[in-house]
Amino acid sequence: MDDRELVERAVKSRDVAAFNALARQNQSQVRGLLMRLTRGNHALADDLAQETFLEAWRGITNFRGESSFSTWLYRIAYSRFLMQARKRKPDEPLDDWDGTTPSSEGQAQARIDLERAMKKLAPAESAALTLCFALGLSNTEAADTMQIPLGTLKSHVLRGREKLKVILGDQS
Amino acid sequence: MNDQELDALLATPLPERDVGEFSVLLMEKIAQHEARPARILAWITSGVMLVVIAAACVFGASAIGHVQLGDDTHLLVPAALLGLTLILSYTVLQSVRE
Repeated sequence: MDDRELVERAVKSRDVAAFNALARQNQSQVRGLLMRLTRGNHALADDLAQETFLEAWRGITNFRGESSFSTWLYRIAYSRFLMQARKRKPDEPLDDWDGTTPSSEGQAQARIDLERAMKKLAPAESAALTLCFALGLSNTEAADTMQIPLGTLKSHVLRGREKLKVILGDQS
Repeated sequence: MNDQELDALLATPLPERDVGEFSVLLMEKIAQHEARPARILAWITSGVMLVVIAAACVFGASAIGHVQLGDDTHLLVPAALLGLTLILSYTVLQSVRE
């Protein structure tokens, strides 16, 4: 069953099972996005992901289907991250991350290098690159998700890529 | 690293995460969220029950002339009922929490 049918069931009959199926289908991407934004802080990323899905459940009747359900989730996740980042004290650093995740053991070194390099980007640049590349959103969808103008999104992507090239170039 | 290599690396899907525990936690949170109206209703019901029974006890006792308002010794029965109501309310609350 695809997202659209599950959303319909979740909205019309407040079907928890349908929403659970939706959450299972989308949790990996949402948690992955938040993991990048929180620079590998597993616990924080998962807390924010839980809040994201709970907020989605509470507000599912507001989902009008203008974008895909996953894009809507990314938007909630990103705004949750921004809210959390604003609450965090400025001198309170995010957890240091060595670039590995429980599921990434044995993966290519390039992948680990990328995650390490991502850590050095601004959250907006990291989010823009993750949304546009890893999650396959169009520039318009990514700008809509981050609620920023298209031009700003493009400059985040451009700047992020340039920084990554320099960082990854230095590492190799 | 050239542009194509970087694009390919960036386009690598995010690692799959284990869904089990995450899903269970989420369902628990949703269940708690869904039970909230029932909890609030239980609080209100308990409050109303307390007020009604207390008022009935005091009014009933004074109406049949067994007690004058302000006469502490004869308020023992209404006070006991009040205590019982409190215990009942607490029990209702605990059961709703569970």
